[in-house]
Amino acid sequence: MSSSLRRLISRLLIYLVLTAGAVVMAFPFYWMLATSVKSPQEAQQAAPIWFPERIKPVNWKVAARLGAEGGSRWWGGFAPGRSVTLHIKADDPSAGEPRSRIPKPPAAFSDPRSESTKIEIERVADGWQVVLTNTGEQTFTTIPLTVWIPKEAGEFSAELPPDAIRSQRGYWRLEWVNASPGLFGYLFHNYREAWHAAPFSRYFFVSFFTASMQVLGGLLFATMAAFAFARIRFPGREAVFLLFVATMMIPGEVLLIPNYILLAKLHWLDTFYALIVPWLASVFGIFLLRQFFLSLPQDLFDAARIDGASYWSMLWRIAFPLAVPGLITYGIFAFLGAYNALLWPLIVTQSPEMRTIQVGLQAFIGEAGSDYGQLMAASTMAILPIIIGYFFAQKHFIQGIARSGIK
Amino acid sequence: MAAVPLFATLFPTWLFWLPLAGVFITYAGCRAHLPESDAAAFWGWVFVWPALAMMLTWNIFPSLFALWISLFDRFNFIGESQYVGLQNYRILMHDPLFWRALSNTFWYVAFTVPVGILLGTLVAILLNERIRLLGLYRTIYFLPYITALTAAAAVWQWIYHPEFGFLNWLLNTPGLDWLHTPDGVIGLALKPFGIELQGFWAGPSVAFVAIMIMSVWHFLGYNIVILLAGLQSIPTQYYEAAELDGAGWWQKQRYVTWPLLSPTTFFLAIIGLIGSFQVFTQVYVMTPTGGVLNDTLTVAMYLYNKGFRDSDFSYASALAVTMFLVILALTLFQRKVLEKRVTYEQ
Repeated sequence: MSSSLRRLISRLLIYLVLTAGAVVMAFPFYWMLATSVKSPQEAQQAAPIWFPERIKPVNWKVAARLGAEGGSRWWGGFAPGRSVTLHIKADDPSAGEPRSRIPKPPAAFSDPRSESTKIEIERVADGWQVVLTNTGEQTFTTIPLTVWIPKEAGEFSAELPPDAIRSQRGYWRLEWVNASPGLFGYLFHNYREAWHAAPFSRYFFVSFFTASMQVLGGLLFATMAAFAFARIRFPGREAVFLLFVATMMIPGEVLLIPNYILLAKLHWLDTFYALIVPWLASVFGIFLLRQFFLSLPQDLFDAARIDGASYWSMLWRIAFPLAVPGLITYGIFAFLGAYNALLWPLIVTQSPEMRTIQVGLQAFIGEAGSDYGQLMAASTMAILPIIIGYFFAQKHFIQGIARSGIK
Repeated sequence: MAAVPLFATLFPTWLFWLPLAGVFITYAGCRAHLPESDAAAFWGWVFVWPALAMMLTWNIFPSLFALWISLFDRFNFIGESQYVGLQNYRILMHDPLFWRALSNTFWYVAFTVPVGILLGTLVAILLNERIRLLGLYRTIYFLPYITALTAAAAVWQWIYHPEFGFLNWLLNTPGLDWLHTPDGVIGLALKPFGIELQGFWAGPSVAFVAIMIMSVWHFLGYNIVILLAGLQSIPTQYYEAAELDGAGWWQKQRYVTWPLLSPTTFFLAIIGLIGSFQVFTQVYVMTPTGGVLNDTLTVAMYLYNKGFRDSDFSYASALAVTMFLVILALTLFQRKVLEKRVTYEQ
């Protein structure tokens, strides 16, 4: 009995330690996601807000309704002729008159949003209704709103929680970044803002193109070289192989400057060539695939040879299809390395059009300043493709890493 | 500048492909009469050539070129530069920033590598205890590793934020600016005992330790996956034999797991040393200027600053070559000292 009790306790202890560790490991992800849906005021609290307003389904319903009034249920908007009605409850609405305004962007010469929007505030039994009507010709994607509520009106609650509440003399100043958000426009407000604040679509394109080209070119070169090392006896094989092994000793930093100079001489700086070409041959890939080809039975190749197959067709018809798991492993590694790299693209690119997502994100960190909601939204977008890829090819990721460790 | 034309003539890429085309045409002409060994030689070189050309162009020649330009005086694209022998290395030896960067990097390696391996071993051993939800735990521990360091550093910077950071709330230390505190941690720890430590012996700064913690978080998953694979390759007979001899859980880990896992731990130590020595991204994102009083300056970051901010390619190359030598020396040292204690299974 006591031994089974001890077993139970030890099991519990294992789970306890593992779970505590997992919480620490997962926390930054949670914090990133939570901050990415916070308004600046929510993010900048001394005590953390665990559940921001924007992830509460109650608010989604209101956001969807307001979005439908102004444009679409999902992404909101403010189309010509539409009116959006926001209810604000208060204890004593007769105590004073609220004021309202569409805030202008700082230093804007003219702001069509505030000029073509008519604001009416009606008193109703339990509070006020703020009605925004688009009298212009233009459709706006967002419509910010500021409402001042007299403090004498007592407790108040807006149906869509304001993104910021500030005290201003005798008024409470309520700010909404978007009064007609729609469901996604509400939840992903920071994502949408970040997406438009910097050319992220271009960054993603550069990253994906670079990484894919590196994978394709790398696979081609590595397969051929690995096959030669594993299955063909040719003069000089040992010497070349030794040379490849020796290059593994060279840390990447040594190559930064000479490769930069070389690219400059070729006038390749700030082009895709600079991002892709220096990374096409990978000793790691060659070693990995060589192990794969070595593990195939020699009889297979002898038989093919007797049947008159050339080395070329042996490689592509026999060895290549059998090495697919190795190819996937190498492909994942090469893609991950290219997608997550910062130093190299930082050095060889200058123009914003050639920034990879990591360089773009790094620049955005400098520019976003204190808007941590947008910053975390941008970070989430940057890591999302890899995380999604991981969940699709989990086994390959894990096995690939494990394989890289066992020699 | 004399070095560049000499080097650049090698690089019209068609020079690599032209002889190849010639060989192909010759081969096509006399394919039928070739003996087996010649066909093997031909195809072997055809297959190896593209990768070899790439390696020569982007790895091997550049390494030698780095060595070459490190012997010049302020080599860059503007103006003349002349051969000065080992002068860059001489300056480097007396460069306080270089020594600062080197000692910082040393502390980084000395902290992250052992901590990463010990934590990784602990988690891997627990995960190997036939637990439920193995996949979930493994995913959670592994995800940071595939997360881009740039994004991860941004998140941690936010966690370390002096006013609104989560960590200050958790530890109840409002206003503590983790990433801008240059005091060495060993110095801080010993201060209450009246011991004042300066310079290297004061240890890594608080800011740098914050970056180290973030780094361990980032690559722990890699260690765990490798160690888990290592654990799973240990035959169960050893544990059964140990149990028959009356070994407890701890003894089994100490006398069976640890020695049989040592090849894996050794591999991780080498990989970790080489990787940690080149730490750049997280430091650059979290402390773009190298921190207060250069307290987070690493060798790779100093190299980046010298080469691409100050455009002093020669000095940066001298730095790179020195870095290579230091890594090489440390790896050899590690092999000599640690490998004796590695138990390879027969």
